[in-house]
Amino acid sequence: MSTIRLRGGRVYDPANGVDGEVRDIGMRDGRIVDLHPAERVDRDYDVSGRVVMAGGIDMHTHIGGGKVNLARMLLPEDHRANRAPENPLELASSGCCTPGTLATGYRYAEMGYTAAFEPAMAISNARHAHMEMGDTPILDHGAYVMLGNDELFLQMLAERQDFQRIRDYVGWTIKATRAMGVKVVNPGGISAFKFNQRKLDVDEDHAHWRVTPREVVQVLARAVHELGVPQPLHIHASNLGVPGNIESTLATIAALDGLPGHLTHVQFHSYGNEGARKFSSAARQLAEVVKAHPNVSIDVGQIIFGQTVTASGDTMRQHANADLGSPRKWIGADIECDAGCGVVPFRYREQSYVNALQWAIGLELFLLMDDPWRVVLTTDHPNGGPFTSYPHLIRLLMDKSFRDEQLAKLHPDVAATAELREIRRELSLYDIAIMTRAAPAQLLGLADRGQLGIGAAADIAVYRDDADRETMFTAPEYVFKDGELVARRGRIEATPVGGTHFLEPEYDRGIERELARYSAEHLSTSWRHAEIGRDELCSCANGGRLLPCRLHGRGGRT
Amino acid sequence: MTAITVPDSSTAPTGQPWTCPFCPLSCDGYRISAGEGPALVDSDCPRAAAALSHFGASASSAMPRHDGRPADHASAIAAAAAILAGSRQPIFGGLATDVAGMRALYRLADASGAILDHANGGALMHSTRALQDRGVFYTTLAEIRNRADLVVCLGTNAVDHYPEFFRRTAPAAGAPARQVVFVGAAADRATPGLDGCTTQEIPFVGDVFDTAALLAARVAGRGTAMSDPALDALAARMQAARYTVIVWESGSLPEHGALVAETIQRIVNTLNRTTRAAAFCLGGGDGGYTANQVTTWLSGLPLRTGVHARGLVHEPQRYAADRLVADRAVDALLWVSSFGPDLVPPTSDLPLVLLGHPDLQAALDDRPDTIFIPVSTPGIGSAGHLFRADGGIVVPLTPIYADTLPTVAQVADDIGRALAERRRTEQGGAR
Repeated sequence: MSTIRLRGGRVYDPANGVDGEVRDIGMRDGRIVDLHPAERVDRDYDVSGRVVMAGGIDMHTHIGGGKVNLARMLLPEDHRANRAPENPLELASSGCCTPGTLATGYRYAEMGYTAAFEPAMAISNARHAHMEMGDTPILDHGAYVMLGNDELFLQMLAERQDFQRIRDYVGWTIKATRAMGVKVVNPGGISAFKFNQRKLDVDEDHAHWRVTPREVVQVLARAVHELGVPQPLHIHASNLGVPGNIESTLATIAALDGLPGHLTHVQFHSYGNEGARKFSSAARQLAEVVKAHPNVSIDVGQIIFGQTVTASGDTMRQHANADLGSPRKWIGADIECDAGCGVVPFRYREQSYVNALQWAIGLELFLLMDDPWRVVLTTDHPNGGPFTSYPHLIRLLMDKSFRDEQLAKLHPDVAATAELREIRRELSLYDIAIMTRAAPAQLLGLADRGQLGIGAAADIAVYRDDADRETMFTAPEYVFKDGELVARRGRIEATPVGGTHFLEPEYDRGIERELARYSAEHLSTSWRHAEIGRDELCSCANGGRLLPCRLHGRGGRT
Repeated sequence: MTAITVPDSSTAPTGQPWTCPFCPLSCDGYRISAGEGPALVDSDCPRAAAALSHFGASASSAMPRHDGRPADHASAIAAAAAILAGSRQPIFGGLATDVAGMRALYRLADASGAILDHANGGALMHSTRALQDRGVFYTTLAEIRNRADLVVCLGTNAVDHYPEFFRRTAPAAGAPARQVVFVGAAADRATPGLDGCTTQEIPFVGDVFDTAALLAARVAGRGTAMSDPALDALAARMQAARYTVIVWESGSLPEHGALVAETIQRIVNTLNRTTRAAAFCLGGGDGGYTANQVTTWLSGLPLRTGVHARGLVHEPQRYAADRLVADRAVDALLWVSSFGPDLVPPTSDLPLVLLGHPDLQAALDDRPDTIFIPVSTPGIGSAGHLFRADGGIVVPLTPIYADTLPTVAQVADDIGRALAERRRTEQGGAR
């Protein structure tokens, strides 16, 4: 394999405490290596004056699976405006809000991203999700399986079954679906909607199972922790989008009781109900609580003005929001006693008070949190806006005057009163490298990603330093994936198939007998198809490499 | 109709677990036995039996054919590539294949600028266009099993074309009591899976469009010029039910069937404001949903899309394969029918590349300008994956014997390589 040297770049590698030092980076056989300055290399890139970071990692982006494909089908208008690719390496693929998987891979790689993770894989939709991710070129990927709305889990909880049995079931689910983490969406609420319940607060009973979201979160967080899943329980909290939902969000943090938890797209969960419109920012309130809870990390789910489509497992909340959609059409589904789905197109408007405030709340959350290691940069693609708006978002965070300019265009009441006006902080390149590389890698337990230390995967982005950070982050000079040049100045240079990260936790296989019985009595697929084997995963994921994740030390052992 | 076969344990023929690829219910709970030819053991499903009758106990040794004469694989591939290379506007039709086949066909369509349509494209567009214009609220087999207390089959008895539907959705342990109402259709009460349910038949009021519209108006509480006591009573029952499922069949609807799909969505949306309801569309067979899902995720657009040099163009009405072929708006046809010999290409004298079940050869006679490449059937001769009727559920298929025939994916990839090689040679020659 080839040896490559990137000479003289300014390196931002927070995982190794490197903050803008000028140094060389060597690559051999897809890994970062220590090259002697005199050692001859196959390719030598002079990157002096350039900014060098690890490849970007998006830990929460809806890139693959049922609801994403439904979103594509729902909005042909988003995909009709397209041109054939000029680059013969690219296959035709269209769309802005929810691009085809091919375009998703190309556009991410062009921005310097080398991994993206689907956060909401339904148990019954796992094969489909892996197929779409496998057809997303260049990027490594993985998925978090949704639990906490499956009737079996809720039944076990309602029957007060032994925690160990529930933990075994969680372990089995992760292994069977080839997930790399667990997500809970509106804990219990998706199931409750199937029983015609329209609202579920953290301490409210599920209409049928008589368990509360608090219990669901507690048990799942403990199971995930004890199984040794590196990634904290990924939590889409109760009452998404509801004014005053900060109470639910804080109650969810309290429910964790010190266990690790990652609250996702918190922008949609940081709303107060103050003021004449009964809708206000609770960003500071949330930031203060998260600061005081080192067990909690967040990603933001920033909104970006313009057309997008929201795709969520949260049928209960998406049904409630469907009347606000634009254009007025939507998709919902009750799925296989394990999940739901709601797809609602949205157009975020600068002149809407609510949308303008959502925008400000997202930025406030980024800027008020003091520890960038616990804040991940996301738009909850496509829910807050498409991932292609990341360079714009980075500029908003790094450039106070640009931010003020944008704020001035918004609904006058927001422009005049948002706390955002007073926040002077501008994030540094080091902060951005944490929020888009080092922190997501650390949260996901990917020891050899998101960093540029010796032995790490040679996933690297090299940017031209430009005062306009949006320009800078839109089309890096070079992007390497496993040591292969995959993009240069916004043009794709190679399209390798990405690898799949997945976990194989240990659990007592005695649970499988009960799961088989439940499957026969209640589900619609043969038990023999319940688990995706390694070979089958490989064929689903288009032949990409299998990347088993390491469990934390106590994984699977009591 | 489908009398259930309960195997007597002492005399039961043995068989291996199997997943049926011949209908979008993708039944994976029945065994298959291999005698003279493969046969289902625990089900009398006539659709599966008819499909299985086209397979022997072991693999076929069929050869490719070029204008009716036997050809080896390499020359058949080269001739197929020549047809695509010489075409200004090819169409890929049929598309009865699995996920891997469709992935490869999309790459080939990209390389050759083809339009993509499925053999059941018209029916597929009823549901797709309604979804694009209004959306959908759907449910899945296991949800019906556990939740539905009212199932309304609108214009279909389900079992004529989906014989195992009621057995696959029969109430689970602890599920509520269920009533099944057939509107404009009739079903045998002895249908497996209907035992334990109460059933009722209501005639159409006018046609299916009138009936759906009237029901939508009644469910929404609107007065109408026409009125029908049976439909009024049904509307009231739907409002009172805890979980209504409206079952419809896209393939049995007349032209403009998308309007019925839209009306069903309106009914479901109305019901969901106060109680719970969802739709279930019986459709997507012959790999239709599979082809649509794969095309959508790769390209961003569903079927009836052209991968043209000017970009992707989605034309749900204009890009109907049979019409484009009849109008000679295309100049070459690649037809894929890997599940059986019944999906034949539209009649024409256009150059034809046919990837299909070996028995399709009989339908071709000595048609000129034809390359026939027999391919393996997923779930019979090769492994594969298919999407089930309820959307996101993908079932793995395992073969019952090792095939000698190549898969659609292998053939499409081979043609793609041959096409690329031709172009390289042509460019080299031009220089």
